[in-house]
Amino acid sequence: MSYLKLENLSKSFKDDKVISNLNAKIDKGEFFVIFGPSGSGKTVLLRLLSGIMLLDNGEIEMDNQVINEFQPEERDISMAFQNFALYPHMKAYDNIASPLRANNKNISDEEIDQKVKEVASLLKIEHVLNQFPKELSNGQKQRTSLARSLISKPSVVLLDDPLRNVDAKIRFEMRLELPKVLKEFNTTVIYVTQDFREAMALGDRIAVLYDGKFNDINSPKSIYQNPSSLTTAKLFGDPTINNFNATIKKQNEFVEVDIKGEQIKLKRKTNVQDGECVVGIRPEDIILSNEPLENSIQVEFRTKTPLNLRIVFLVRLKNGLELLCSTTEEESRLIDENKKMYISFLEEKSHFFDKETKRNLE
Amino acid sequence: MRFNIWGVLKILAYIAIIMFFLFPIAWIFNMSFMTNDEILRKVPVLFYEPTLKNYIGLWKGEIAIEGFATMYVYFKQNLINSAILSVGSVSVTLLLGVPAAYAFARYKFKGGEDIAFTLLSFRFAPALLIILPLNLYFSQIGLYDSYFALIWVYQLITLPLLLWIVRGYFEDISPDIEYAYRLDGHSWFQSFWRISIPLAKPGIAAASLLCFIYAWNNFVFALILGSSQIQPVTVGALAFITASAIPYGLIACGIVVSVLPTLILALFIQKYLVQGLSLGAIKG
Amino acid sequence: MAKVVLESLNKVFTSKIGKDVKAVNNFNLILDDGEILALLGSSGCGKTTTLRMIAGFETASSGQIKIGERLVNDLKPAERNVAMAFEGYALYPPLTVKDNIAFSLMREKISKEKVDSKVMEVAELLEITDILDRYPPSISGGQQQRVSLARALVRDSDALLLDEPMSQLEPQLRAVLRARVKDYIQHNKKTVIFVTHDQTEAVALADKIAVMENGDLKQLASPYEISAKPSNVFVASFIGEPPMNILKAKINTVEEKLKFEILNDENEKTFSIKFNKDNIKKENLAKLANDQLITLGIRPHKIFFNEKESNFDGKASSSSYHWLGDQVHIGIEINGSSIIGVADRDFEPSSDVKLNFPAESINIFDLETEEVILNGL
Repeated sequence: MSYLKLENLSKSFKDDKVISNLNAKIDKGEFFVIFGPSGSGKTVLLRLLSGIMLLDNGEIEMDNQVINEFQPEERDISMAFQNFALYPHMKAYDNIASPLRANNKNISDEEIDQKVKEVASLLKIEHVLNQFPKELSNGQKQRTSLARSLISKPSVVLLDDPLRNVDAKIRFEMRLELPKVLKEFNTTVIYVTQDFREAMALGDRIAVLYDGKFNDINSPKSIYQNPSSLTTAKLFGDPTINNFNATIKKQNEFVEVDIKGEQIKLKRKTNVQDGECVVGIRPEDIILSNEPLENSIQVEFRTKTPLNLRIVFLVRLKNGLELLCSTTEEESRLIDENKKMYISFLEEKSHFFDKETKRNLE
Repeated sequence: MRFNIWGVLKILAYIAIIMFFLFPIAWIFNMSFMTNDEILRKVPVLFYEPTLKNYIGLWKGEIAIEGFATMYVYFKQNLINSAILSVGSVSVTLLLGVPAAYAFARYKFKGGEDIAFTLLSFRFAPALLIILPLNLYFSQIGLYDSYFALIWVYQLITLPLLLWIVRGYFEDISPDIEYAYRLDGHSWFQSFWRISIPLAKPGIAAASLLCFIYAWNNFVFALILGSSQIQPVTVGALAFITASAIPYGLIACGIVVSVLPTLILALFIQKYLVQGLSLGAIKG
Repeated sequence: MAKVVLESLNKVFTSKIGKDVKAVNNFNLILDDGEILALLGSSGCGKTTTLRMIAGFETASSGQIKIGERLVNDLKPAERNVAMAFEGYALYPPLTVKDNIAFSLMREKISKEKVDSKVMEVAELLEITDILDRYPPSISGGQQQRVSLARALVRDSDALLLDEPMSQLEPQLRAVLRARVKDYIQHNKKTVIFVTHDQTEAVALADKIAVMENGDLKQLASPYEISAKPSNVFVASFIGEPPMNILKAKINTVEEKLKFEILNDENEKTFSIKFNKDNIKKENLAKLANDQLITLGIRPHKIFFNEKESNFDGKASSSSYHWLGDQVHIGIEINGSSIIGVADRDFEPSSDVKLNFPAESINIFDLETEEVILNGL
């Protein structure tokens, strides 16, 4: 039974169809991540959900009730903004207490005090409660903003890229801390981010937003291993998935891939028809060696750069096509870039995308 | 050595500029404590015997001028009129202008910019252009010589001014702060009253002060559209110039008294003017 | 291209009210011809000030700046023969992208064909060939940044200075553009100094990294050395994603095995890591004193999983599991202490996690000074 239903949502600005026919069903208590590149309409979508912006078309249903007509203050939805949006003329304490002091609630001052201190303690900001926003660090502002959005125990909390404006080190800590904190409040979380690693680390499911709608709604693993299109595949993974035009031909248990004269064989089965398509292969799924292995093709070494904990090799085929391959540090030490180099593709890991629509052909 | 010369020259420049601006004011301040004889002396004197005769005369409503008869002065009433007109105008302007400024800042509606510009354009036209027709109309509908009419006409001056200043301040407030307040559970009006207005306080204060000054200093409208009953100090000062004598000391005194309210208001509002705007509530 | 030498470089911003700000403290550096240096640190650490001093936009309070064999302290920026890409791009609005890039080349005496081919080369490198005829205000921030970078790369100069050159790039382009830019720089043997707060970028591009904090140079070394042999806790925890696990520990040398007793915030013992003393070099053992309190660091991806034998006592359970495509991040709890580990993408933790802390990956730092005692046992 889904708690939050988004049906055919549409919103345009003049001729720009920012959101068009967007659908999703979100379960109660789920950690639902909305992931999309900048400009994909994430902020607009959050504004539509929170009620600040009106829909052109479609219905938002929460707990079996259509809430399109509800004002923001009437929806049981709260939001933590990317730029914090703290009230500058109020102390952190009053910022956090604000939802509890809204008209429709009758809470005593003592109770408010207790709740504020509870949330502040959970988010480790009790020591800054008496300070004004301008005196707080970005990390503290973020936590204050979160405390404010969680204190009234809303049914749904919208988190708009909360870790974007926070230092890299603190971002990592909070990535681990946040899910634990949110579990305490038992709320349905809609978390928006541009960082695919964050999306994969935090989400029960990820909804990939571009072209105005959700193109994939699935678990992180499924999206990574089975993207619905090349566009989705490119959004997940660093370095980005290699992709190039090729002609494929099925030959018994192999698929022959012809890239402008260069040929490479993949040992795998597929239902895809012979013909032209776009082949995608992730850098970590390319095997690099100094010896010609089964089904390998010779390449020219260009550069190697470390990337996080792996080494990325830039290699070039004889026809000029460049590919990125990534290996672990240990594996890279076994490769001598002064000798000949060969690559082959890991068996089941290649993807075939339609040349025009870019959709996954499998 | 180089440093010294520049420093001295700088100080001399400061003194010259300050003297240039303050001299007339200082002179008038002095004059208000002098009698006509002393003022009109051929050689101006730096030191003199200060007298409060002018001030007392202004207050009592009559003053004896040396060599002439007693002069009756209605300055007190003028002061009261000025106060009523200025405070009244600014109040009306605030009531209408602040919400309007908010509307212009936040909502993009058809013709919005055109309306805003039209309102501003009222300030471009010289008052003299409209004063005579206005006089005729007001007389016909019985609005001649009423506070209400003058306050209404003053809006032509004060309203555009406040709109354009305050609109900018509202635009500088991130809309997200207002949304956040709504999402906390507060209504639109509460967000406007408790978030938008406090954060735009510096702008509203500055604009109010300027509107007050313009209203207080207005001459033409008050001159033509009202009788001596409702004339403010600007017009009332004319009465000092009689066929028989010009009591300069009294006039100087009147000037000092007229300037005082505005000065006090400015000092009072200063603390609101100094506050910064976003105060670090938004990132960066 | 030339060698860059900074000797005892200092920059102090004097203030009439309040304290003076020491933006750069006693910075020493020798960068050989053709080397790439990254100035890495968080905002306010002094890296941009250092770069601006080398370029000539900021005068040094004391110390010497040498480019090639020339002492350039008193030279104006234009006289120093350096090319710079600014953080704010500083593109010329009335010129097309192509002319922006070619601008500096037009001053040098090169034929028009040569200028065109050089411009095309960098444009293809940075994938901006499709916007060569557009004007700066009409292109996106990421594109503007690439144009700014192209303009600096194409010039022939003694040194190339880049201020946050790729911070606005679309994430999908970063890895491949980095590789290409590095290839171009190395191919053309340019001496490059760039500023960044992104340690991934520093590690990817640089031959040497200067890690800065509060105006001080914390460590100057190759990416490998900074990662494997950090000289203090700051550098150790700044580099690496996920960051190094930093734990407080007490040394126990009296028992049969060398033990590190890991302590929590209340100084209570949570678990211990054990090592055979025979496997540890004598000179390293000598640096450890019994009952000494130290800071212990171990990188998440250096923790080995699936070992048959673990070398710690205590029960480990996994508290979080993040599958990230090419790797997994696992949060581990051992008797109340938390650490992060990185494993292969196929790894799935069971309820009883077996892990091994290899001796060569243990870093020991002094608890007070935070300076390194040992990088690897």
